[in-house]
This record gives sequence, C-alpha cells and structure tokens, in this order.
Amino acid sequence: MLHSNFFALLIKEFQQLLRNRQLLYFLLVIPLLQQFLYGLALDPEAKHLKLAVINYCHTKITRELISLIIENGVFDLKVSGGSEKSLVNKIINGDIDTGIIINPDFERNFKENKIAQVQVLLDGVDANTANIANGYLNQIFFSYGSSININNSRIYPAIVNKATFLYNPGLLASWFFSPGVIGMVLTIIGILVSSSALLSERETGTLDQLLMVPLSTGEILLAKIIPLIVVLFVNVLIGLTIGYVFFKVPFKGNLFDFLLVSFLAILIVLSIGIALATISTNQRQAMLMSFFISLPLMQLSGAIAPLESIPEPFQTLSLLDPLRYYIICIKGILLKGVGLDILWPQILPQIIMAVFFLAISTHKFRKQLN
Amino acid sequence: MPNLKCIIAQAVKEIIQFRRDTLSVKLAFILPMFALIMYGFATRLEAKNIPIAIFNYDNSKLSRDFVDSIFATADFIPSSYNGDNVIMPLLKNLAKASVVILPDFSRKILSNNTANIEILIDGSDINNARIIKNSFFALTNLYLIQEKLPHSISLITPVSRIWFNPGRKEALFIVPGAIAVVTWIFPALLASFALVREKEQGTILLLYASSIKASELILGKILAYFIIGYLEFLLVMLLAIFLFKLVIVGNIVIFLLNSVFFILTGVSFGTLVGTRVNNQMATLQVVGPVGFLGSMLLSGFIYPIHNIIYPINLLSYLVPARYFIEALRNFFLRGDALDSHLYITTFLISQGLLLIFLAVNNLKAMQLNK
Repeated sequence: MLHSNFFALLIKEFQQLLRNRQLLYFLLVIPLLQQFLYGLALDPEAKHLKLAVINYCHTKITRELISLIIENGVFDLKVSGGSEKSLVNKIINGDIDTGIIINPDFERNFKENKIAQVQVLLDGVDANTANIANGYLNQIFFSYGSSININNSRIYPAIVNKATFLYNPGLLASWFFSPGVIGMVLTIIGILVSSSALLSERETGTLDQLLMVPLSTGEILLAKIIPLIVVLFVNVLIGLTIGYVFFKVPFKGNLFDFLLVSFLAILIVLSIGIALATISTNQRQAMLMSFFISLPLMQLSGAIAPLESIPEPFQTLSLLDPLRYYIICIKGILLKGVGLDILWPQILPQIIMAVFFLAISTHKFRKQLN
Repeated sequence: MPNLKCIIAQAVKEIIQFRRDTLSVKLAFILPMFALIMYGFATRLEAKNIPIAIFNYDNSKLSRDFVDSIFATADFIPSSYNGDNVIMPLLKNLAKASVVILPDFSRKILSNNTANIEILIDGSDINNARIIKNSFFALTNLYLIQEKLPHSISLITPVSRIWFNPGRKEALFIVPGAIAVVTWIFPALLASFALVREKEQGTILLLYASSIKASELILGKILAYFIIGYLEFLLVMLLAIFLFKLVIVGNIVIFLLNSVFFILTGVSFGTLVGTRVNNQMATLQVVGPVGFLGSMLLSGFIYPIHNIIYPINLLSYLVPARYFIEALRNFFLRGDALDSHLYITTFLISQGLLLIFLAVNNLKAMQLNK
C-alpha cells in the first residue's frame, strides 16, 4: 500500500534528482544540442557540388544546357574550360566533384538527329551523393533533349508520372531528423541517467540506509522510478518543443497518443538502465555498457538511415529494437497525424518489451537488495 | 624540461592500473569493434528493396506489364498491404509509395492519349523520397521504349564515368568514416576517465606531493592511452579491412603518420577534459557530445560536409575526424595525391600538438591554485 512513508521517500528522491546539476545538463543541454546539430548539420540532399565544364561546342544550345544544370543550386560552376587531363586531375585531388565534357560535334549530331554525347565524370567516393548527382544530370539531359527536338514536332509520351510527396512536401531534413532525435536522446540519456541514479546511491553506500526504511523493495524502487519518469518526460517534451518551434515540424496527431507512446519508451529505457546498474560494479562500467546498448538501439532504429537499405540480418535484428517502434510512432503522430488505431502494430511490441524489461530489472534489483 | 624516464614510468604505471579492471579492458577493445560493425553495416543510404503498394484499377495486359517492370528493378518490392485505401499503406508504414493506375490506363494509351500514373510518395523518409520519384521517371521511360509506345526522345546521352568507386559501393564510403568516429571517441573517453579517477579517489594529491612534474604526469598518461588507443585503432583497421574487404591504395607512411596524430588528438582531448572536470559523469558530458556529435555530424561521415549550413560549418574545421576521414578515404579509395592533401597532415599534427600543450598547461595551472 502507498502511505505517507512512501510519499516522504518520493519527495526525497525528487529532491535528490533535481539537486544533481549534471543530470539537469543531460536533460536540457543534450536534447538542445542534438536537435540543432542534427537539424542543421545533416542534409542528405546533393547541393553545391563543385562542377567543372569543358564545352568544346560553343553554341547557344550547349550554353543553355549548362545554365540549366547550374540553375538550382545542386552544382556550383567552379571551373570552365581547361584540358581534359587537368579536369581528371581535379577530380582525383578532390578539387571538383563532377566534370562535364561536351564534344565539338555535339550540336552537329543533334541537328542531324544523331545521338549527341555528353561525358560526365563523377567522384564516386561518396556513392550516395554521386548517385543523386548522376540522376539529377540524367534528368536534365533528358528533359532538355526532348524539349528541343529539332526535327520532329514534340511527342507526347503515352504515360506521364504524377508524383506527390506527402507528409513532408518540401523534403526538409529537419522534419525527418527531429522525431528521430527525440527518440535517440531519450535512449542515451534515459539509460545513462537511470543507471547512474541507482549506482551513485550504491557507490556512496546510502543504498544500505535506504533498506532500513519501513517500505518494501518494490516501493523503494517505485519511489526511485517515478522522478526519473517525470524528468525523462520533460526531456522528450523539450525535444518536441525545439522541433516544433525552430524547425516548424508539424504536430498533426494527438498529444495524448504522443504521451502514451513516450511513456512506453521511457519505461523501456528506464528498465534497461536499472538492469544495467545491477550488473555493473561502478559508474565507469555502467557508462561503457550504456554505450554498448545505446549504439545498436540507435543504429537499428531507422532514425538516421532508412531501414530497407541495411543488410538482411541487421534488418531482422531491428525488429527487436524498441526505439524502432517508438520512432515510427512519433513520426506517424507528428508528420502523418495517425492515431492508435493505425499505430497499434507498433505499440504492441513496445508494451511487450516494456513489461519484459520491467520484470527483469525489478527482479534483479530486488535480488540485489535482499 | 620533463624527464623522459618519469614519463615512461608514469605510462607503465597507468597501463598496469588500466589492466586491473578487466571488464573495462574487455569493453575498451570490444566496444570499438562492435561500434565499427554497427556503423559499418547499419548506415546505408542507398535505396533498395523499397516497399511499394500498387493499386491497379485497370486490369489489362499493359498495366500488368507496367507493374512487372516496376518490380523488375532491385529498387522496389511489393508491399504486404492489400486493401484498397491508397493512403493506408503509407500511414501504416507498410509502403514508401502508393502507385495508382487508373481504370482508363490502357484505353488512353491505345487511343493515343496520355495516361497518368499517380505516385504518392511518403516524404517523411527524405532519403528515399526523391530516389523513388527519379526511379519511376526512368523506369516509365524504359517501359515505353520496350513496349514501343510513344515516348519522349532525348538525343542527349550522358556517358558517365565514375572515379574510385565504380560499383558505387556505399560501404567504401561509410566504413572509413566509421573507423575515424570510433577510434576518436573511445581513446578519448578512456584517457579522460583515467585522470578523473585519480581525482575521485584522491590519489592525485599524492601525485601533487611527489616529485613528478605536471608535464611528466600528463605526458605519461597521454603516452599510456596513446598506446592503448593505437592498439584499438589497429584492431579496428584490421577488422574493417577483413569484414568490408577494403583495399589499401594509398601511401602507408603518410597514412600511419596521420593516424598517430589523429589518435593523439583524441587522447589529449580526453586528458584535457580530465584536467578540467572532477568526476566521471562530468567527463562523459563533455567527451560524449563533443565526440559523438562532433565526429559524427560535423565530419562528413554520413553526408557531404558542404551541406552543413553556415555558421555551424565553421565548427567542422575544428574536428580532427574531418581530416582523418579524408585521410582514410584517400588511403582506401582515392590513392595518393600527396601534394594536394598535405593539409590533412598539417592540421592533424598541429591539432595534436596544440591539445597536448593545452592539457599539460591546464594541470600546471591547477597545481598552483592548490
């Protein structure tokens, strides 16, 4: 039963937690830093690639083609002219990312209705960016080439694609990263803070005193957990607010749903942290171990890279990652505006994991106390 | 002048002490390798196996052929959704795009009109969204050509040559970055823990009282953790070469020089933090964000460094990993263009020396205050 002793202990735990300056730093500064850095530093788009052009065919068509290529910021024209050899050297040295060579017979071929070739040289070190740049160039060559078909009148293709980007029409990187960062920060901080909250009590020896309190171990643990849940909620809400205010990440769904899935996620990271505290003997071990756990949780969550692209065994492993479900849920709630009726296949595994981890960690904690 | 004997004695003592905590030793060597595997395998941006939901309301041979052509590429796989709400697979996260073929698809094509295909793309996955759109553009045109249907003709044909990574294998881009991230963070953490533990346990007072100079103490610690850090580095390199089949194409002498100073920047940064803060938790507060955020987000590890917006991009010049990632990519991909990459070695050496200098000076200052 809950009684006044319990509340006294609860108040003590709250005070103890809030007196801890480092904890406040983790809760406040880390989500701020992470939200801003992820939102501002990571951008998957190809832009400002350094371009060199050698145009052997000085005609209106080729000049128009080049101005189309550099029109919308994907490429910055750095070098114009020079020899092919120096262009290749510049790619090898990393001075430019992309080279385009237009042959002297370009316009003549074009007018004779023959294939007019353009040489494209790409730095393939960054495979992803090279792919995007290549696709972008191909599209420009195609649309420009088909729009100025000189001999025959314009052909209307039999099929036209009408593509629409839903939920993030501008494909803004910050909208993608912000929900993921909420989940990642919660994981790192939650595991770290809860394990250290328990360990510091043990290291200072005050845990033994706690056992003298006329309360059951379950109640002692509960008094420890409740303040942690509250501060981790604050942590999640800080991340949410930064995304909402600074990056204008939409909140289309229901706040209650958001709080519910966050509560499950908090329970999971807390129990992992408690379990960690029971198996490590000092804070350094707990910290190193928390890296050990947080890293795969983050990497397999789909927060940074799409899950479809990772190799098969890792995709299967990601099904065991609670963060994966949490991030799908908050992306769904924030960007797509879906509710529990649609998200339940993601919530169910979270409930199972929360119960499972909670059972293990409380069991371990009790065993250690008794 | 610091006495070399004292430095070595201090380093030997440090290594003996380090080896006593067996769990930490194990973690110190297992964690970096584990982290490399997680980063190396689970950071993939290339689009493949993207689930697509098809809504074919025109059950004709033409439309069925078109659907077949979508899944003929390695990019797309059919979604497991089989209801008839076109938005639902996106909301349920079962597909990244819904493709709608209207009932008049084949009728329009056969009567020489243009048939529209609606593609609804989940824009909340920014990595894949644009690639899906581009792939559909390309595969539709290919389909029209194969079926000898009217299609836009572009006489401009790009001939692409891709340097260094012709297969555009993403691992060759990601893994060198992962090596740098991993081998910076872990040595830095271990080095800072070591110094802070002396403070926590009070043994630093014994050192103050002894005849050892501050510079000798610090240099000894840096030397010890440099040796440990470099062992970690070699282990991670071997694992990377073995697991991801990296091929050495660069100059090994220059690379080893770069690596020595890179590991030194990590170790001396950790030591510097150790001189400033007083407990392990606080250490983590500094080394964690600087290490993880700095070397992951501001180093060009995942996305091109020039995508980072001003003024945050200025910070990236301070991040040693930024230079070492380039060194690693030169070593494994580009081969050497010695003259143009001298800046890497210059920066790494000066950052390494500067950090050692700062660490030594910080402890000196502290000693005077006591």
